[in-house]
Amino acid sequence: MTELTVPEAFAGTIAALLLLVQLQLFRSVVISEFIRVYAVQAWLVAAICLGVGITEGGWDLIVLAALTLLFKGILLPRYMQSLARGISARIELPARINVLLSLLIAGALIGISILTSVQLPLHQGAFLPKADLATALSMVFIGFLVAILRPNALAQVVAFLTLEDGLFFGTITLAPGLPFVIGILLLIDVLVAVVVFAVLVRALVERQAAASVTVFQRLQG
Amino acid sequence: MSALIVAIVAIPIVAAILSLVLRSRIGSAVTAIAGVATALCIFATVVTTADGHSTLDALSSLFLIPVAIVYGTVGIYGTWYVRAESIGADGDERYRREFLALTNAFACAEAVVPLLTNMAGLWVALEVTTILAALLVRLQGTEASLEAAWKYILIASCGLAIGLVGVVVLYASGTSVLGAHYAPNWATYIAMAGKLNGDVLRLAFLLALIGFGTKMGLAPMHTWLPDAHGAGPTPTSAMLSGVLLSDALYVITRFASIANRAFGPSMTQHLFFIVGLLSLFVGAFFLLRQRDIKRMLAYSSIEHMGIVACGLAFGVRFAVVGALLHVVNHSATKALAFFGAGRLAARFGTREIDGISGGVAVMPISGTLFALAGLALAGMPPFGTFRSELMILTGGFSSSAWPIAAVMLALLLVAFCGLVRWTMGVTVGPMPEGMSRGERDLGAIGSMLLIFVAVLGLGLVVPAHLAVLLNRASDIVGGHP
Repeated sequence: MTELTVPEAFAGTIAALLLLVQLQLFRSVVISEFIRVYAVQAWLVAAICLGVGITEGGWDLIVLAALTLLFKGILLPRYMQSLARGISARIELPARINVLLSLLIAGALIGISILTSVQLPLHQGAFLPKADLATALSMVFIGFLVAILRPNALAQVVAFLTLEDGLFFGTITLAPGLPFVIGILLLIDVLVAVVVFAVLVRALVERQAAASVTVFQRLQG
Repeated sequence: MSALIVAIVAIPIVAAILSLVLRSRIGSAVTAIAGVATALCIFATVVTTADGHSTLDALSSLFLIPVAIVYGTVGIYGTWYVRAESIGADGDERYRREFLALTNAFACAEAVVPLLTNMAGLWVALEVTTILAALLVRLQGTEASLEAAWKYILIASCGLAIGLVGVVVLYASGTSVLGAHYAPNWATYIAMAGKLNGDVLRLAFLLALIGFGTKMGLAPMHTWLPDAHGAGPTPTSAMLSGVLLSDALYVITRFASIANRAFGPSMTQHLFFIVGLLSLFVGAFFLLRQRDIKRMLAYSSIEHMGIVACGLAFGVRFAVVGALLHVVNHSATKALAFFGAGRLAARFGTREIDGISGGVAVMPISGTLFALAGLALAGMPPFGTFRSELMILTGGFSSSAWPIAAVMLALLLVAFCGLVRWTMGVTVGPMPEGMSRGERDLGAIGSMLLIFVAVLGLGLVVPAHLAVLLNRASDIVGGHP
């Protein structure tokens, strides 16, 4: 058995924490908890970005880590908390199925991600051998699952953002050499997408206080 | 980068800024001029590419043509649209400016996609189109438009997320050959395709097909499409259906060419068959039960994307060329159909098919052009769509996958019945009581006549420069640039 290096152990720990934190979304009942989960996840993603930057000697990744921490870890959660305040911060978020069943499905999705990626010879140049793609895919799938199971506009936005964190994690660990400009564009893209989401959430709230997307049943067939 | 390419990007951006700050009457004129100017630059680029004097390759130039056709006419159509249809809740000046500015910005983003060959850059450009399109769909301020915009941005963004995983996996596959740091350009992957791991590339293509296929409206990831096309402003529907779907296809074909080059066309063909036939099935049968004129056209888009996917799947050169030609034909025909549907819906005050009848009697030009567009979408001669569908089917029946061509033909007949039934239903018949006859909106009529030239012309003859591009683009898709 090969011993893990310190960077690999660090990345593995962050990957496990990212998944554990994301699973919290199934048991969170108010939107402020959702946003806190996202903030913690953003800090973890910034940490992995910093770790890869230091190990690989890439100043661009260190800058990206700082920007990620600032925008995704601090400013975005604050903005979303202000958006949630007075809308549905205290309203219990609906869930289509119970927590246990949700976690079982999430576990199955993690299993599928591991089975899909573990056989692939992807790991040359990757920062987190064996678990990089599996973690990224798991986070994307769990993000989808949360968006489906929690029919609330803000909850779906947070689900999308955690899904995007999975993409960011995958990009950093699987392809640390991807040009810096792509990382920056990804970050800007997320910020713009959140603004658009916010526009839509505000419009939705103008119509009904709970920001529930269960009313979206008009357009079918 | 040539001056023409700079102009293709710069003109819509300048028009977007001017539309935002100037009065909407001037802004709509600026948009019309910008659309025509951009179209001329694109056609000049197409000619220079065919002559071998452009930095763009044939596939990029080919996928610019839908931008030229649709943006070139949307601007002219918009001069009528901003006056006739209430854009915002109160139809005020602010909403009109936003509509014009977003339309120009959206056109710019749509034009940027085919100009790129950097696989990561393509993802970013497509995501920008998603954001701008969601804002446009939302603009009318109705509950239906809010629902459509929400579904669109959520589903499309999630789809693109999967597409990005595909880009990252593709990048990771190249690190074993090129090292950790390299630019993820399509040409780089093509050059080293033989050295990439086949399993990794297969995963990358699968993820790209699911992710970008969501944007292309391929079933079963198509659920956002009828809502967004139905609820958005009419010019936006034309741009979504006529250009955005082909932009997403462009990204998929870039991935497909790398995969085809690396391990042959077998896997890409099988996957194209699956999503193609499924899209044809969904589009054809849902067409039969539509009650909304724009949603009917949206399902027709799903059907036509299925036709294109099947054409690519047959692998025979004649069918692949037909599929690529069908992209151009579909964009022109669908834009004409949406323009006509918008005119009829505005005059009759409803988008419900049951509420519209005698369209030709009420609006002799727009009604007739809508009817012809409907027949063209159904695959009737002598229009361009007939030519390209015939090429795809001929190629299909000449290949080993002829049973799939037979299934495709059966599904096309189902779609034909749906399209002809609804199109004739709204256009043929006596003029309803209380309606006045005639139309005087030069902008709208002019844009529709202009685009009809393309719809009919491409059925009669394929210009030499376009034929050159189609053949070269077919080689690129096959992985042999």
